[in-house]
Amino acid sequence: MNFFKFQKRLKSGVTHIALGAVAITCLFPVFWMISSSLKTQDLIFSKMTLLPEVWNWSNYVTAFVKADFGAYFLNSVFYTVVGVFFIIFISSLAAYAFARLEFPGKNILFYLLIATLLIPIPGVFVPLYLLLKSLGLIDTRLGLLLCYISNGLAFAIFLLKGFFDDLPREVEEAALIDGCSRFGIYWRIAVPLAKPAIATLVIMNSLTIWNEFLLALVILQDKAKMPIQRGLMVFQGTFITDYPLLMAGLTIATIPIVIVYLMMQKHIVKGIAAGALKG
Amino acid sequence: MLKLKTFVSVSICLAFFVCSFSGCGKNKNEQPKADVVIWHWMTDRQDAFEKLAATYLEETGVRVLFETYAPTDVYKSKISAAATANLLPDVFNPISDKKEVASYINAGYIADLSEDMEKDGWKDIFFAKALTQNTFEPGNEWNVKPGIYAVPLDVNSLMIYYNKDLFTQAGLDPENPPKTWSEFIEAGKKLRAANIQPFVSGFGEGWLIGAFAQSYQWNLFGKEGVLETIEGKIPYTDKRWIKIFKLFEEMKNAKLFASGVVTMVNKDAERSFATGKAAMAFNGSWGVNVYLSMNPTLNYSVMAPPSLPEAQFPMLMFGGEGSSLFINEKSPNKQKAIDFLKWLTQGPQQTFLAQATLNIPSNKTVADDLSPVLKIFSENIANTFESLPKIESWQVNNFININLQSVIIGERTPEEAAKEVQGEKERQQKAAK
Amino acid sequence: MKITPIEKTQNFCFIIPALVLFLIFSLYPILRTFQLSFFQWNGIDKDMLWVGFAQYKHILFNNPAFWKSMLNAGYITILALTLQNGLALLLALLVNKNIKGENIYRTIFFLPPVLSGVVVGLIWKFVYDGNFGILNYWLTSLGFTNFADFAWLSEIKTALSSVAVVHMWKGFGYGFIILLAGLQTIPVDLYEAAEVDGADAWQQFKNITFPLLIPIITIVMILTILGSMQVFDLIYSMTRGGPAGHTHVPITKIYEYMSNGEFGYSTAMAVIFGIVLLVVSFAQIYLSKKFNYDR
Repeated sequence: MNFFKFQKRLKSGVTHIALGAVAITCLFPVFWMISSSLKTQDLIFSKMTLLPEVWNWSNYVTAFVKADFGAYFLNSVFYTVVGVFFIIFISSLAAYAFARLEFPGKNILFYLLIATLLIPIPGVFVPLYLLLKSLGLIDTRLGLLLCYISNGLAFAIFLLKGFFDDLPREVEEAALIDGCSRFGIYWRIAVPLAKPAIATLVIMNSLTIWNEFLLALVILQDKAKMPIQRGLMVFQGTFITDYPLLMAGLTIATIPIVIVYLMMQKHIVKGIAAGALKG
Repeated sequence: MLKLKTFVSVSICLAFFVCSFSGCGKNKNEQPKADVVIWHWMTDRQDAFEKLAATYLEETGVRVLFETYAPTDVYKSKISAAATANLLPDVFNPISDKKEVASYINAGYIADLSEDMEKDGWKDIFFAKALTQNTFEPGNEWNVKPGIYAVPLDVNSLMIYYNKDLFTQAGLDPENPPKTWSEFIEAGKKLRAANIQPFVSGFGEGWLIGAFAQSYQWNLFGKEGVLETIEGKIPYTDKRWIKIFKLFEEMKNAKLFASGVVTMVNKDAERSFATGKAAMAFNGSWGVNVYLSMNPTLNYSVMAPPSLPEAQFPMLMFGGEGSSLFINEKSPNKQKAIDFLKWLTQGPQQTFLAQATLNIPSNKTVADDLSPVLKIFSENIANTFESLPKIESWQVNNFININLQSVIIGERTPEEAAKEVQGEKERQQKAAK
Repeated sequence: MKITPIEKTQNFCFIIPALVLFLIFSLYPILRTFQLSFFQWNGIDKDMLWVGFAQYKHILFNNPAFWKSMLNAGYITILALTLQNGLALLLALLVNKNIKGENIYRTIFFLPPVLSGVVVGLIWKFVYDGNFGILNYWLTSLGFTNFADFAWLSEIKTALSSVAVVHMWKGFGYGFIILLAGLQTIPVDLYEAAEVDGADAWQQFKNITFPLLIPIITIVMILTILGSMQVFDLIYSMTRGGPAGHTHVPITKIYEYMSNGEFGYSTAMAVIFGIVLLVVSFAQIYLSKKFNYDR
């Protein structure tokens, strides 16, 4: 018995060492970012110490004020929340249809969708801009949101279809016989079962929208509508990059995404999906 | 079916929410916020620009709005999207070579400023070289109407910075930097022997390595020769071009280059020089401000790239206008924009800008009260490349830069590199036909 | 079950919102851009010059640098498919095992994808730096003194692999959470039953986890192919395609042409590149389907 206990301990020890090693490489840049954000510009590279000699917490205040984060923050939250909601809602409907329902042109549409995932077009913002102009959506939040939402769809549909394909059909068929509508099945059975996938998508799309700035800068003119990334530009000058303030700004801008991740990863936790299946 | 109804009503509610937040319809206040809108890419100058705009508002009642967007690629994307949709601001810069600027002019996006430049001797306040890049000459290959098309705000040039303390440390005379190529190589060897990295530059950015090579192209070929090379009359396999490639090989063999120089961007190179990790840096006059921000006590001076003994022509350097502003031909506020730029290039404003951003003003009359190093740079403006009616295609320039890197990493010999470039030149000539 | 036309229309309603948005804001701009690939145009000129397939021909036969960049991306992709995904799967399995501190690990592993490219580029450039880098410091203190001055990102032999390592490091977190999400959908009772039958961990993995995970693995593989073939930010911030073009990938190439005013040519490159990706991805889907049915 003792031997088995030892073996188990050893096993978990090895596991922790392996996980810990990877974890350290992931943590180091964060540590470095925060440590750099507390240094001063003239010492940050001349004295490469792990910890700052003097902890300049005021960098955070300066960065927050200088980058005008207060003004941009709400915009970013709005774009991210609304954008992600619609991406998930619209794509889960479509993905369910692609996985379970019959309708004309199904295969062609799906492959077309996937094809757009595959073809990177760097100049696509130009026709997009002209399109928004003819729709009167230049410099509007709606215009930017519509771009964000449609950008996220293909990937979300692709991922969710994979999950829906995988769900056991029996539950749904039983519900159908019980008189549930198709939408009811989608809403009450498929969506809850796909919770881990949806949580994953929420994380990824939040990250994309939160960090996006090319489209925002091209489409929007009015500073009052700009997202948080607009603020970070202040520190990356053509000539001078203010590294400590940039790092402070990046830290501030990273925190909300980490929070989203923490909130969402609960739903990727063991038991929820399995429990639903059992019930 | 009931479920579908809830779904529809929920989505309508959400759509309403979105619209109310984003202000679906037109903006309520249609009147413009400013009389003149300027899009600029140097976010590090935002504060200085805003102060100037405030002064101008006080003096004239004209409201000028500076919007800065960085990095430069994003700014460029914004400009090109705005151009295709005809939504350019009153003042901007397309940030491109002459060929592309010519497209903007020919498409009617950029105003010809020649007449205004002639008025009250506006154009005479500038360094002559500050205008060359904004000037299209008669007979230029893009059929642009000859004239001046932009207002330079500042000027710059590229020279070699050197760290005086490190020079002393290696037993070199900091007041007597190397003047000829062989002295330069010898100095490099001494620095290396003293365990100091001799030379750094942002050679990972093609244009910088290209600019270094071009100095020697002017040195060896002169204006006529440079032009004939562009026209294809002199091949890149000419022994003088092979010599240029050999210079880089020589620097490599003498271990002059800092580690990783071929993939280094200029900001990294600047950091390396500012922190005393390399003794010499090929960089522009903006470096003065950069080095000050990273290491205020850095003890340095500048020198021209060392000349070659066999060269028959003067050594010229990359430089000229630093940042220029173009005026939107279609803007209803064209005259107001011109008036503002005219004001901006006058003595007091130029002095303010020069001091706030540590740059060389384009207005030569105020270039006197500069720091010693900037003074050397400003005297050097006269030695920058001359304006040409033709430019080399970017593909060939790109091949030159890549092959220079290739020589530095020892992948190709100078002869092979020159042959590669000539091959691309011939492909481009064929494609042009 | 027969499907009535009414049902078909009802079913179609599910995809209408996605379809409308997709057609207007994704497909239309893409098709407009495609059109450009037949023109020589710099984005500014009033007139676009119709050149037909000339640009395609030039790319196919006269632009070896573009094909070299394709190979570079292929190299990074193959490394990512094997090493990065292997690591992601391993970590997902380990974290899924109800070990102590599972929550903490799960959070930490997703940090690299969250971090800004600026930070990642800066840090890794410090790691790889020839003179002052952490990597060389470790190597020399371990006795490998010939690495004292070795600039990892600037040597032909190591530049591409060094960039690939950073790419994999930044990307494994994505695969990790998708695989973890996939693992969660596997019913626990399957494992309970297997344990009753006396199956060990490897047998459980082989007979339950892996087969049920294949659709998710396929998704992760395709995402890896897309992400790695289209890698851009990291390369641009670390090497700009250097030394001497040895770390160029298709997107940096396309970007280079576009920023030099070659709108038409760069879209033609994008189309060719897209077709290559299309073929690779569908081959991947086909193979995994076949593999799945064969079992």
